[in-house]
Amino acid sequence: MTVRNRLHGLVEFGDEQRRHRLVVVIATCIALLVASPVVWMVVRAVGAPSDAFALLVSPGTLQVLVNSVVVVAAVSLFSVCIGVPLAVLTVQTDLPFAWFWTVTAALPLVIPEYIGAFAFSSAFGPHGAFADALAPLGVSSIPTIYGLQGTVLVFTLFTYPYVFLTTRAGLLSVDGTLVEAARTLDRSSIGALREVVLPQVLPAVSAGVLLTALDALADFGTPAIMHYDTFMRQIYVQYNNYAQPGYTALLSMELLVVVAVVLVLESRVSGDANAGFSGGGSGRPGRLHLGRWRWPAMLFPAAIAVLAIGVPLAILVQWYYRTGTTYAGFAFQLSDVLHSVEVSALAAVAALIAALPVAYYAARSNSLPSMIVDRVSYVGYAVPGLVLGISLVYFGTAFVPALYQTLPMLIFAYVVRFLPQAVGSVRSSFLQVDETLTEAARTLDHPPLSAFRRVTLPLVAPGLAAGAALVFLTTMKELQATLVLQPTGFRTLVTYIWKVQEAGYYSEAAIPALVLVGVSALSMLVLLARERYDV
Amino acid sequence: MPGGPSITDLPDLKGELTLYIGGGEGGLYQQLADLLQQHYPDFTVQTRYSAANQVLTEGQNGQVRADVFWANDAGSLGVIEDAGLAATLNSNVTDLVRSRYHTDTWTGVAGRARTIPYNTQEFSESDIPNSIDAFTDTANLDATMGWAPTYPAFQSFVTAMRVLEGEAATRSWLNGMQERGNGGMSQYKNEWYVSNAVADGEIGAGIANHYYAIRVISSRPDAPLDLAFTKNDAGALVDVAGAEVMKDTSSPELAQNFVRHLLSAEAQEFLATWSFAYPMIDGVAPVEQLPALSALSPPDIDLTALADVQPTLDLLRETGVLS
Repeated sequence: MTVRNRLHGLVEFGDEQRRHRLVVVIATCIALLVASPVVWMVVRAVGAPSDAFALLVSPGTLQVLVNSVVVVAAVSLFSVCIGVPLAVLTVQTDLPFAWFWTVTAALPLVIPEYIGAFAFSSAFGPHGAFADALAPLGVSSIPTIYGLQGTVLVFTLFTYPYVFLTTRAGLLSVDGTLVEAARTLDRSSIGALREVVLPQVLPAVSAGVLLTALDALADFGTPAIMHYDTFMRQIYVQYNNYAQPGYTALLSMELLVVVAVVLVLESRVSGDANAGFSGGGSGRPGRLHLGRWRWPAMLFPAAIAVLAIGVPLAILVQWYYRTGTTYAGFAFQLSDVLHSVEVSALAAVAALIAALPVAYYAARSNSLPSMIVDRVSYVGYAVPGLVLGISLVYFGTAFVPALYQTLPMLIFAYVVRFLPQAVGSVRSSFLQVDETLTEAARTLDHPPLSAFRRVTLPLVAPGLAAGAALVFLTTMKELQATLVLQPTGFRTLVTYIWKVQEAGYYSEAAIPALVLVGVSALSMLVLLARERYDV
Repeated sequence: MPGGPSITDLPDLKGELTLYIGGGEGGLYQQLADLLQQHYPDFTVQTRYSAANQVLTEGQNGQVRADVFWANDAGSLGVIEDAGLAATLNSNVTDLVRSRYHTDTWTGVAGRARTIPYNTQEFSESDIPNSIDAFTDTANLDATMGWAPTYPAFQSFVTAMRVLEGEAATRSWLNGMQERGNGGMSQYKNEWYVSNAVADGEIGAGIANHYYAIRVISSRPDAPLDLAFTKNDAGALVDVAGAEVMKDTSSPELAQNFVRHLLSAEAQEFLATWSFAYPMIDGVAPVEQLPALSALSPPDIDLTALADVQPTLDLLRETGVLS
């Protein structure tokens, strides 16, 4: 090697270092920004009265904390039971109309939890539509839906799509040649799936489970409607007492401690799977042929769609057709729908841009700082929407009053809230890409950025699409940050639905809910089509 | 034709107003604001849904964006008043409303009465006691009642009981209600759910704000649901949704005039007819399903005292109503 070449190598090495450091700095800044709600909690907690500290360890608080942990564990388990088979069916088999079932499997995510829980309590409650329908058949009472079982059922049906979408992305990034290799080693198709594919998609599955778990932890409406007492009720009750924000802040910090435990547990699961890099997604993995089960297999996605989309819409339509409705409020407008799609699309793009450095750093480095940055990015998501909303009002008015209640600040709030959805999906895709491929591309004289674009990006495209879908769908139904930070006079579909249901005008929620599901379905189709071109 | 001051007698609304709405009754408050905007060509109103804590946080950081805050309970109005963020209302506004429903800085706009919704297939009106204290030992109500202890209006009711009867009596009432029969009290997310469950026959009676039952009846005209009222106790509390003008507003005249418009005969008629509120001015009657405000026997209480919620939450926790 000539001196000149050697020098060139040194310079290259220096560039590489600098680039890495830049990614680290950017990732750290993003993580710190989205963790800002914690600062609000600390500010408020400082002024909290001593009674507030006693509340943290009262028997009642500890009891509902246990209740919450039980709910989270059960919902996580059942979400895997629904989300993973659905992902395998739609990606990895010859299921008829797979694209259609992909859309229906993702859609329950846009149905606001207060609509889902209302529908289930109306349909399957002690005097609900289902009980009424069975009464003439001589069935006098049905098992109660109230309590833990109903809470877990409703949470599972409306949050399993997190697991479905992340797992689906994981499966799409799996290298097909590995599956073929396993088969030639005399493994059955199912055996190949279990031994080769599943270990590879485990980080993706656990990323989805984490989102499901944190959602279930920080929701008040569903347990309240299903008559089950969870930790969020403590926060909700205190939140309504505006004069004493210290209580809310302290209870939210207690919630974050639980979240921290969940985050550490999850990083164990996905950390163990880091060894499973694949050769790089050349060609689709071998498909499972369902044979004579091909058509009956559609019953599973169909049943889930009926429960998670059909039941809520049917109950709302039933209310819509009830006679005697008197409502003098305004109708929702086309501009509400456009606003929803606009902010959701902007949020999805912004969250992806912010997620790339964080996910890249987390996937490419096993250091403690990289793990901390990745985990800290979840803080904004784990903070209940109510608390996040008011902490952003605090920051907006205290530090950036010029941006307060403007569209950029609203989009920033969505990124704070939903960044982990993008990070989780993108990181697990990065984990599946073999770094040696990128290096190989570079030795073939591609500059690093071009190597990233031409080799890495196509391989992580399914993860990017999944992240965008998650952020888009959850922004479509986001309420708390939207209410406090949207420009005054700005109306969206979900603020409309929330407003009418809050006062009990469920009949008025039917049409906007149908539009919400329809528009989200169309958006999913657009997203899925893009994903296909990218791969 | 409703009596009281007509908007034709009021000065025109002119200019731009930002209105924060604390609750909004399913968009009806916003609709009323929009109707006023349509009526006056030179008037625009921007509305948003923001509870007292947002107004409070803005105020603490010197960034108040609202000109008028329309809260859905006196407690929220009191919090903003206590923080020194509200301006004194003109007497031509407050003179319209009875003294118990306004202070110097806020005025009630829509009355909301505590009531006992009951299922008419299970009970007749005479089965429902007219004293809230008697509910703890009325045997036919055992194991068939529901309430919504996380709901702010319920907490205001308990606060009123604390103020009127003292903490010890309130504690024993809460305990007594939970010990009834084998069933205790069913808990619901909010008082619409309570009223709807009564209509379904899931529970026989409940404790709720009056308009939820009327709303259930209006969307299900054959629902077996009616309202009973107690007398001279916290169970008959009449709270208000009300408005206050922010001290930092850049258009105080417009804001005062807007609040005055909310108390016009037309606005009061709209709120009574569509949100089923109790009107705050003489000359407008509530919907036909309701007794007149003058026929109710609300307790004599300073509504501002309802802002003192924390001792109520502590009491609800100590008695196990909340965890």
